[in-house]
Amino acid sequence: MTTVGTRSARGDGPVKVSGSAMYTVDFSLPGMLVGLVLRSPVARGRISRLDVEQARRIPGVWAVITAADAPGHRSGLAIKDQPLFAVGAVTHEGEAIAAVAAESAEAAQAAIDAIELEIEPEDPVVDLDFAASDDAPLVHPDWANFEAVGEDFPRRGNVCAEMLADPAGVDEAFGRASRVVEGEYRAGRQYQAYLEPRGVVAEYRGGRYTVHVSHQFPFNVRDRMAAALGVRPSGIRVIGHHIGGGFGAKLDLGIEVHAAMLARAAGRPVKLVNERTEDLLTCQCREDAIVRLRSAVDAEGRVLARDMDVLLDAGAAATDAPFLASIPLLLAAGPYRVGPTRVRARAVYTNTAPTGAFRGVSGTHLIFALERHIDEIARSLDIDRRELRLNNLKEDGDALLNGQVLEDASILREAFDRVEEVAPWQTLGKGELRGVGMAACVWLTNPMPGSVVLKVNEDGTLGVVTAATENGSGAVSMGISQIAAEELTLPVEAVVVSMPDTDSAPYDAGSQGSRTTHIVGRAIGSAAEVLREQIYEIASGLLEAAPEDLELVDGRVGVKGSPGADVSLAEVARAATAAGKSLAATGSYATPPPRFDPTCATGLLFPVFPTPTYHVHLAEVSVDPVTGRVTVLRYVVAQEVGKVINPAGVVGQVQGGVAQGIGYALYENLEIGRDGRYRQRTLETYRLPLAVDVPNVEVMLLEHPDPAGPFGAKGVAEPPVVPVAAAIANAISDAVGAPINTLPVLPGNVLDALDRANKV
Amino acid sequence: MELTFTVNGRTVNVDVPGGTTLLDVLRGSLQLTGTKEGCVEGECGACTVLVDGRPVDSCLYAAHAAEGRAITTIEGISTDGELSALQRALVDTGGVQCGFCTPGFVITLTALLEENPTPIEDEVRAAIVGNICRCTGYTQIIDAVMETVEGGR
Repeated sequence: MTTVGTRSARGDGPVKVSGSAMYTVDFSLPGMLVGLVLRSPVARGRISRLDVEQARRIPGVWAVITAADAPGHRSGLAIKDQPLFAVGAVTHEGEAIAAVAAESAEAAQAAIDAIELEIEPEDPVVDLDFAASDDAPLVHPDWANFEAVGEDFPRRGNVCAEMLADPAGVDEAFGRASRVVEGEYRAGRQYQAYLEPRGVVAEYRGGRYTVHVSHQFPFNVRDRMAAALGVRPSGIRVIGHHIGGGFGAKLDLGIEVHAAMLARAAGRPVKLVNERTEDLLTCQCREDAIVRLRSAVDAEGRVLARDMDVLLDAGAAATDAPFLASIPLLLAAGPYRVGPTRVRARAVYTNTAPTGAFRGVSGTHLIFALERHIDEIARSLDIDRRELRLNNLKEDGDALLNGQVLEDASILREAFDRVEEVAPWQTLGKGELRGVGMAACVWLTNPMPGSVVLKVNEDGTLGVVTAATENGSGAVSMGISQIAAEELTLPVEAVVVSMPDTDSAPYDAGSQGSRTTHIVGRAIGSAAEVLREQIYEIASGLLEAAPEDLELVDGRVGVKGSPGADVSLAEVARAATAAGKSLAATGSYATPPPRFDPTCATGLLFPVFPTPTYHVHLAEVSVDPVTGRVTVLRYVVAQEVGKVINPAGVVGQVQGGVAQGIGYALYENLEIGRDGRYRQRTLETYRLPLAVDVPNVEVMLLEHPDPAGPFGAKGVAEPPVVPVAAAIANAISDAVGAPINTLPVLPGNVLDALDRANKV
Repeated sequence: MELTFTVNGRTVNVDVPGGTTLLDVLRGSLQLTGTKEGCVEGECGACTVLVDGRPVDSCLYAAHAAEGRAITTIEGISTDGELSALQRALVDTGGVQCGFCTPGFVITLTALLEENPTPIEDEVRAAIVGNICRCTGYTQIIDAVMETVEGGR
């Protein structure tokens, strides 16, 4: 292989470092208007007055729209519970109430200011336990009328989804356990904080909508917009531009549909871009959660049975929470052997902004809880924490709690060993107020479908037409570019990948769950097989040789065993074009679902972990007893990736994921007040990790090629964020000598823990 | 308010309302969209430009203060399409992911290398505390600076 496995420079690098890459916020259309959205300032209340007549009369204002101008039905990812504008009541701060389009930002703001809005505020439902209780007021009193998007699932009142696994033997095992270890673990919300705020440029011409977006999943924009507007999907064209970060937040529909409605109402294109505070308030953040764990253990530290109860804060709309409610079952055993495990997970409506997908969905707080819990078990039995993990590690053929067999789980032991080689456990965390922690997990590669068209251009370059999106991870600009180059024996510079366009590209399920390199790469492999046959067919005429005697070497088609008898791909492509034939082939792939036990749980909407990967993280920290500040001294990752397509790209994903995990563990604090409003509302108060906060992460990549993956590659980019808060919280707890069971771990929490441990 | 200053060596003349920021002049009046708007509160550094060689957050910099000064934006760093050594190194090391913060980093680090051509790692980290990158974890950005320093020796 000449391209796969090399540090090939990313294709979009030059336009990005020179400032010429066009993001949606940079994109303009002639005659474009400025859009603005009026949003609810309160979390819950009745709209007693909404009058937009004055706003409509302001010079330069072309459109003012409200619920009265929008389709009356609701839509959503899992439950049809989201209106386009608030109807009668508001259910969260930042909910859209009206939108305007005007010739200037000033006129648009004047129109917003002229809208007469009165809301009678009500007490919001904020506390998760209360929201899930029978006493809580309903966030959506008419929840029973909301249809599920697919087959319905268990839900009731504020509990918008409940997943329950209740196998036999749990209570019996608790009865005979030598010890029961209990813990309650809490994690706050995390804002994706991509640097390009959400934006859209929309136009409506000839009865069709076109939206220009920086979105991770253009086909989802198309389908969700179509459902929200009640039009057919092909009535909408989604064109993708460079994406200034997404991390999951740019997977679901957002303001795209509001811009489209404004463009139609105004008869002119409309650009709508979130201000930073608006973006933070309306972003589908990582959900806050409460995890309660009880484990029945024997004297050797074996977990005889476990009981896990999880509350996920969906906010005021379900979005993907009904799917996320399945993940506790898939993670509750984690990489360890445990006995029968009862898992109940409830996604709960509250009067807060809807939460949603963030890299490592739910895994960050679940692994935090589970790995903190293991440290607590070890401490209570006075067993070394690493030894306890190794004693209970899954082996090849062990199953997850859904019955899915992990054929290659022994990779976990290899990952522990690799970490030990560079960071010997017994030597770390020594000294006053220093600590060491580790965490491990099994994660998945998203299996959803993708298709590509490969075509040889007349100049001999290879065109890849795809709606796969380059969210920054390098999955397109390195991963699939290098895979395509390798397939046709071309240099990567000869591969031209299209930008997404739902009119011309075949379906792709977007950049989520580390799927792009694995799924689209595999689709490229299938397409390349067909394309090579087409190439040999045309070349056989040019070379006067049988197709089966031909081969591709360094981008030229030659006759096997006859050096010099060859033609360039450009010559073949021109000959094909002249003959009225095409060198173009499609390829598609979706991971076949692994077998599992469908009776293992109810409400299991996301039942399996396809293409599993294995992860062990270690953190060494010190804490300052005066300021409570935590310093991450060392951070070590052993990650199984199948096959490295680009070492610089893979290492960058791990380092970047760990940095987001450090932010989640130590800095990023999104508090929800009793009024249902976020306390932190800007990037000044919502504290992101800076260059001085993040160590150089030591990365070890384990390769166990997946026969189903392109050149063996599995998913890479999502999981490095997952075990970070767990490893760091374990290290801090070790350093201070008291358990830290709430995220983020702010300096005040560290000082409190030191107090509890009588160390100050 | 009529203003005259240079941008990337060209003299420009703009007429903007008082209170306009330099960022709005660059992205709006001049359509130089390489300079990014990330937060408009001087936190993220995506809007960093050089004013007389000194990096500033253009979202907080009043346009009228630019009168008579020399502004350098990301569009002025590459000469005739040729990337600077730092820009090339950022591409080569993996210091670019989504790329939205990249123009700000290029500007800040270009100023650093101008002032201190051989920084040590801690000096690089200190120089970029005003630039947020959400993708990389910073290491490969710092690697790029070190590679540039090595290449310059």
